[in-house]
Order: sequence, then structure tokens, then C-alpha cells
Amino acid sequence: MTVKDRQFNWIGKGVSRVDVDDKVRGRALYVDDLDIPGCWHGCVVRSPVAHGRLKGLKKDPSFDWSQVVVAGPEDIPGVNIMVMHDRSMPLLGHDEILYLGEPLAVVAAPTLQLAREAARRIRPEIEELPATLHLRDVVKQFKAGDSSWARLSAQTLVKGDVARGFADADFVVEGEYTAGHQEQLYIEPQGLVAIPQPDGGIFIQGSMQCPYYIVHELHEALNLPPEKLRVKQSAVGGAFGGKEDFPSMLAGYCALPALKSGHPVKIVYDRNQDILYTTKRHPVWTRYKTGVKKDGTITAIQVDYLLDGGAYLTVSDVVMYRGVLHSANGYRCENVYVNGMVCRTHTFPSGAFRGFGAPQAIWGLESHIDRMAEACGMPPHIFRLRNCLRQGDSTPTGQILASSVGSPAVLEKALEAARFENKLGLCTRGKSGVKSYYGIGLSFFPHGSGFTGDGESKINAIGAVELALLEDGRPGVNIRVSSTEMGQGALTALSQIAADAVGIDMARIRYPFADTALVPNSGPTVASRTTMVVGSTVFSAAMKLKQALSQFAKQEPGLSGPADFERVARAYLSKGLPPRFEHQFQLPADVHWDQKTFQGDAYPGYSWGCNIAEVEIDAATLEIKTPRVFACYDIGRVINPLLAKGQLEGGLTQALGYALMEKLGIKNGRFDADRMQTYVIPTALDAPAYDIRFVEFPYDHAEPGAKGVGEIPMDGLAPAIANAIEAATGLRMTDLPITPEKLFEEMKKS
Amino acid sequence: MSTSCESIEMAFPSTLSEALALQADERTRGRLISGGTDLMAQWESGVLAPPPRAISLQSLSELRGIHEFDASLQMEPGRPRPGSLPSISIGALTTHAELRSSPLIQQHLPALAAAAATVGGAQIQARGTLAGNVANASPAGDLIPSLLIANASVIVASMTGERQIPLANFYLGYRKIDLHPDEIIVRFVLKKCPEGSRESFRKLGPRAAQAISKIMCAYRARVQDGLVQCFHLALGSVAPTPIRLYDFETWIEGQTLSTALLDEAERKVASLVSPVADIRSTAEYRQWVAGRLVRGFLEELLGG
Repeated sequence: MTVKDRQFNWIGKGVSRVDVDDKVRGRALYVDDLDIPGCWHGCVVRSPVAHGRLKGLKKDPSFDWSQVVVAGPEDIPGVNIMVMHDRSMPLLGHDEILYLGEPLAVVAAPTLQLAREAARRIRPEIEELPATLHLRDVVKQFKAGDSSWARLSAQTLVKGDVARGFADADFVVEGEYTAGHQEQLYIEPQGLVAIPQPDGGIFIQGSMQCPYYIVHELHEALNLPPEKLRVKQSAVGGAFGGKEDFPSMLAGYCALPALKSGHPVKIVYDRNQDILYTTKRHPVWTRYKTGVKKDGTITAIQVDYLLDGGAYLTVSDVVMYRGVLHSANGYRCENVYVNGMVCRTHTFPSGAFRGFGAPQAIWGLESHIDRMAEACGMPPHIFRLRNCLRQGDSTPTGQILASSVGSPAVLEKALEAARFENKLGLCTRGKSGVKSYYGIGLSFFPHGSGFTGDGESKINAIGAVELALLEDGRPGVNIRVSSTEMGQGALTALSQIAADAVGIDMARIRYPFADTALVPNSGPTVASRTTMVVGSTVFSAAMKLKQALSQFAKQEPGLSGPADFERVARAYLSKGLPPRFEHQFQLPADVHWDQKTFQGDAYPGYSWGCNIAEVEIDAATLEIKTPRVFACYDIGRVINPLLAKGQLEGGLTQALGYALMEKLGIKNGRFDADRMQTYVIPTALDAPAYDIRFVEFPYDHAEPGAKGVGEIPMDGLAPAIANAIEAATGLRMTDLPITPEKLFEEMKKS
Repeated sequence: MSTSCESIEMAFPSTLSEALALQADERTRGRLISGGTDLMAQWESGVLAPPPRAISLQSLSELRGIHEFDASLQMEPGRPRPGSLPSISIGALTTHAELRSSPLIQQHLPALAAAAATVGGAQIQARGTLAGNVANASPAGDLIPSLLIANASVIVASMTGERQIPLANFYLGYRKIDLHPDEIIVRFVLKKCPEGSRESFRKLGPRAAQAISKIMCAYRARVQDGLVQCFHLALGSVAPTPIRLYDFETWIEGQTLSTALLDEAERKVASLVSPVADIRSTAEYRQWVAGRLVRGFLEELLGG
């Protein structure tokens, strides 16, 4: 039976969230709700300067230090590093300090008040050095050919020969696009507790996306074998990538004083600390130079893609890879050159955030595509329909899109839903005398699902299911994976998948919190891979369980009748037969990726999207409203249309904030917005009316055929809005967020 | 949640005289707090140091209520007389929710009702008070421009009696108010929007709701046959305190509305304000948009 033909009972239904009742009634336990006997509180001592040389930490002699524990670099049992991608970032800063807020020591005390008081009584003595705080300063150097800026990582992508492409072009179109930091602003701030264990190990519990990442990043610093570093999630109140890499750092801050004092140590950030001292989306500068023929053929795409990695590399190389792979993708073009770079600034290390480099790339590309269309006199949708990749085409890395290609279907369906062509004629294009400018704009984009490059084959994700007697004494199935429910709906979607594979009611499926003592490593909850990759391991593991039960039923007298799960499962369990079934994710044998040449199959599969935004701009004040947004997506088989639409509406609203209002400046090395009063995100009143549709092109290498949905809503709304603003006002806005103030500045110039 | 507010010693007087007595004595005096929607956030975030003592005004029923009265008759607020009553008294503890839903305010002070509806969200509106908004003295205080166009006065009380201060004089500078340490704001008196006059309020913020303003404008005007007979204009977030733009008012009163006058008015307003840049907006945008907003209001008047 092929993926496409399967009939399902639960998959495809918009069942409501399994965890809705616990969350609405306040029964879900977040880390700060856990009752941990003898728990102390931690507080981090931080660098007050962005760059300098640490001379020492001066403790106030008038303070009674016997009542607290202070853990510094000398208390790190192993090496003072976070493993991350290049082992360069220390767990606690020493010698050269590279960012404001860099942790220097951790104080723990029986009360939070005392811990904070003690932390205030420690004064870091730092000889200040000149700091690079803004990406724009690095860009200035780069453009001037000055290569003295600090490069953390670089990667080029080459297809064909752009010089030839430019020679063939009738028009060369150039443009630059920028965007700043974006804060994830999950509802539940970062929080973890580290509980020392009698065997010398440590148990970390709390808010996270990736339990096994914490084990990996910290085992060298804590000098513990992985099995003595147990990590378990508690309820997670939103993450958006913010709880991918950062909790490993926080786990270190908790673990050090916990190991030193012997007490459990908890750190839960307040909102202020959470905004100031956690990872953000990478600021970006992209420069496009493209060639296009009069008939609309794209002959060359040349891109510089530069990310601000902050003080340390952490995961920024892979963020940049994803950006490089999305910065020229989606369109037919034989000549592509992408120069990807990550630079260092003396700011908090940038980290994972929904989209992981792709939204920054697509922001530039999809703005630029409109300019190319304009150069050859074609409407933006016609230009896209003419050039978009289709089944059988090859991507910039030479990946042949053999199957499951939702292009051009997403484009066609969204254009029709929005009546784009009709509305294009209504755009005001900066006409004077109107009370309100009107514009409509679109964007089109693929999003690589799963890990970039050979990530999936390196991690070899394993998912497991376990036949067990549930809390009501009746048999059911436990899902055992390291993917965390963080608000996105993994619990519900994977339960639907398991229920269909075993052929039982969803009510008999449980998906307990991920705990490294109990679950295999199915990889981190990132990269839009949970439903697609981990879901497929759950599906296959659950199919194995079903097969084992039916084989068992055939051999057992009295059980040969129609499959009665409860009777068969009870009998199976009473015999003491193995209850656990695992499956390892495997890509087809012909999938190949070459990291050196950056050629081959960059992703296991692609989701596809098209966003269309309508804007109305008050001519008196230049306030920007987005009354309607149309979107069509191919996310493969839609496991739960209700949750998928919820993901997409939420993500689109997050993208709306990125496009129009979210901004973080840097003042004296510090983010200038440090509260929800000053870091402004959209409210329900700012959200447009959404019209979201699906076209289903199931992934055919892994059942049940889902592709990624988590990140793609972040990708395309900012350029669609910028394109609509251009149609409304005639002004091409190239820096996010697009505010009335920036529009005013542009209008003055024109 | 941080613990910085836990150390505050709170007093909960149940009558105004009890509260005034506490404030009269240096040893019992404390920071006055009503809804706490500004103060609690400022104390928690460390923008303001938490005071050693605070006096909650929440139980003082004398500080509530909205009444019509005639100030020229020197009558007591709350005791109506037949005939037209040109003034309104609003108790210090009146919440934003009460302001926006009061039929008296909606009818006679429509700009104030509109402004109250833009403060924070439902929770803040239910708890935050008029006196709190005025005393917090933010240049972006949402209610203040609408009070200014209604020639509001602040009535403050102490053990020795009451003092009436025109609101325009109540602000001494950035976040500075003319309130003595032993005084408590008890109510506000405002002039109703007269028959034949119009009021309007406009707030621009970084988003559609739950926003602190980039700029606010409140207007009260009477125009007859195109002739501007009376014009009150107040702005927020363009100066260290909310301001009345008297120079503009004097300039436009007596003129006849025309397209040319609109152009001139827009330029005039922009020339009279000198806002600064902050995290919400730029000085240039604020200056420009102040003129644009006033122009928009005049256009409405011109259109009838």
C-alpha cells in the first residue's frame, strides 16, 4: 500500500488537543509549579559590559557569604565549555568577556531574594575593550572590502556560472534587505531545576525543546557520562526555537551550584531577564544581484547572506546553511552563487527561532522577486508562475524534486482565493489625494522539512511505542520519543498517528513527558521535523506493535477472532512478551548530500507556501493595517487540520509582528526593549482575517506522509506585506520592521 | 515574579480623613496608590524604587462618583438643581472602565470616554483610575489631553482644606506634579462640551490595542458657517508633559475654514511642537503627524 492510498481513522481529523483540559484548567505543571523539597534558587552574576577583560569578581566583605553558595568557573567539574557546534563558548565567562550579560558566576540560596541580594554583592572587575555592537558596522566593513571583521562561519553555494548568467541578462536587478533581532516571547519564560542525585549524577527538569541537547552540550562541562545526566521536560509554555539551544546554558547555570551545594537549584527567569539574557533571531543583511531576460527568464541569482551571530557561534553555522539554502530556492535558475557568512558582534549569542535563517533569506528573496518582475514588466504573480520550480526541476543544490511538490499548486490556489488579479488593479501606487492607500502583495516559498543536509542521517532518529496497562488498568500504548509538546500540538498529532497505526481509539494512547531515562533519542523538537520524521518513526513502531499483536493472536487459542485490542493486549502482556517497539528513521538510499560542495539533497522534503497580504495605509498618518491575509500551504498529509491552521495563524501573526512592529535596538550593549511594554508584538486586534487553505502532496518516503508545518508560517508574510506596501505607496521598504516612521522617511526622500 | 514589592508596608485607610491624617504625619506618610496599574509595574521592574510605605486609597468611597453641577453657583457636587449644569465632577478613583461606559461622560465629554477606551486592556481599565493616570504624570498619559480640552481642574485635599489647581498648571515638568506631600487628589471638575461644539480624540500607538501612545490629540471646537469660534487642542507624547497648544488655538479662532487654511494649520501645528525620539517613535514623525492629525480633524469640521 502506498502512502497516498492509505485510509485513516484519526489522521486528517481536526480532533481537539489532548492536553487542552489540563492547560485550560491550570492542571498542567510548568517547572515553577513543581514542588521540589529543599529547592534553592539560583541567580546569575553577569558581565555589565559588552567586551572586556575580566580581572576578577569582588565579593562585598560586609555580606554573610556562609548562607549562600557561589559557583564560578573553578567549580566546573569538567571543561569550561558548552559543546554546541564549535566548543568555543564557555559555560561561565572568563578572561575575555564577549557580551553584556555573559554569565560569570552563579549564586544559589534558600530564597530567591537572598540569591539576588548576594548576586548584587558580587562586582565583576572588567577592563573594558572596544565593542562591535551592530551588524550595520560589519556590513560597512564588508562592503568596503575590509576583511578585519570577525567571521564565525562561512559557506558558499554554487550552481552554474553567474557571470555567464549576467551576460545573458537583459536587466540586472540589485537590492539589499535587512532585519534586526526578534524575540520569541513565549508565554512561559525560561526555567529549569537541577536536582543532584545520590549517584553523583544530576537530574534536570523544566521548560525545553530538546532534552538530549542538554545532555550533549553539558556532559563535558559537568564531567558526567550521559546516563548520569538525566533530563526531563515539564509542561512547556511555548518555545519557538527559544528553548532549543538556550536551555543547555541555563541547565549549566543550575547544575553548578546544585552540584556544589547538594541542593536542587531552580532558575526561572522573569520577563525582564528573559528578554535581556536569552537567544534571539539573527539579524540579517542580504544583497541580491540578479539577471533577468525581457521574457521573464531568470538568468542569474547572486546573493550575499550575512547573519549576526552574536558573541559565539553556538548553532549559527547551521542557521546560516538554512538561510543559504532558502535564499535562491523556489525558482528555475541555472546560475546561482550564494555567499553565506556569520559575523561576530559583542551581543547575546543569536539562536534558534522558528524558521532558523529561512525567514531572513525569504524576506530578501521574495522582496527582490517583485523587483525582477517589475524590471521585465510582468505582474508579480505571472512572473512567479512562469519561474517557480515544478515537479522534476532541480534546486540550486541540484536536488531533483521528484515527488511531493506543492508548486505551483499553492500559488494557483492562493491567487484564486484572494482574487489577486482583480485586486491588483485597485492598488493606489502612491496616488495623491487618497484617504487610504491600498495594496496587495504576494510571496511564494519552499521550506525544507527536517534537518538541513545530512542532519537526519547523522542523528538516526528513533521513535518507540510501548504496550502497557494505563492508569485505568486497561491496556493502551505509550509513545516514547524525545520530542516535546511545547504548545504546537505534537502530543495530539503523534497520538493520532499512533492510534491509526495500531488501529485503536486515540483515548488509549498516552504520550508522557520526554525523559532521557525512558525515551530513545528521536532528535530535538526543531526544524519542522516532529510530525514528519518523528511521526513516521512512531507510525512504523506502532505498525510493528500491531503486527506483533496480530501474530500473537493467531497463535493463541481463543484469540483468533476479529482483532479485539483489549483482550489480545492483555494476553500479550500477561505472557511477559516484549512490550516496546522501535523504529529508526531512514532516508531512501539514493538520497545524497555533500557538505563540502554543498550539493545534493539538501532536505528530505519541502513544504510549499504562498502568502497574499492586503494592506491599507492611512494617508494622514501612514499607519499600516493588514485587513486580510490569504495563504495556501502544502504541508504533505495534514494530520490535524484544526491544529495545523492554529499553527499557521499563530505563526503568521508572529510573522506580522516581524514585518510591522517587533524591534530590539541596542543601547550601550544592552537590548533597549526589556519588557512587554516596550517589546511590542501584535494583539488579536492587529491580526488580519486569515483565509488558510491546504493542497496535500504527501511525503512519500515516510508514512503517514506529513511534511513540516511549524516554521513555514514565519517565512513569507514580511515580504508579501512589503510587496503590498510597494503596490500601495510606490515605496520599496527594505528594512524590517516596516513602521509608519520609516515610511515617512522614505516618503520625504521621494 | 520578583520580590521587590514584598517589603512595602501598606496602610488601608477606610475614610478620607483617616487617609489625610496619615499623610499629614511624616512618620506615617506613604506613597498613594489606587489601582496600582502603573506603580506596581514600575516597582516590579525597578523603574522606580519601591517606597518603604504605601497608602491604598481603594476603600475611600468619597473619591468615587460622577456628577453634573454648576460651578458658578458654587453648589456642592452631587446635589443637582434644575436647569443646565455646565460642569462635571469626577471622583479621583473613577476607573477607566467607568469613564468609558458612563452615559454622562459619553454624552458630555466624548473625547474622555474615547480616551478611556484606549487605555491598556480590560483588566487595566477595570482597575486603573483617573487620578492615577493624572498623578503618574506620564507625557503619554492617555486621559490627560481629553481633560485639558475640557479645562479640567484638580481638587486636592489636605487636613487644612481643599485646593483647586487648573490641570494645565498641575504639571510642573517631566513627571513632576503640584501635589504637596500631605495632599490627596480627591476629584476633578471639568467643563462639559457645550451644545454645538464637537470633541474628538485620536491616539496613535505601535499597535491596535494595549499600546502606549506615539502621539495623542484631543480637540474641542465650535464652528459656525465655517467660522472657528472656539478651538481647544491638547497633545500627548510630544513634550515633557501633555500640553494645550494655546498659540495654535489663538491663531485659528476667528478664522474661516478652507483648504488653504488646512495646509497652513498643518504647518502651524508642526512648527509649534518639538517632540523627542524614544523607543516608540521618532521626533520627525511625531512632529509631522501632529500636524496631520489636526488637519484631519479640521477636514472633518469642514465636511460638516
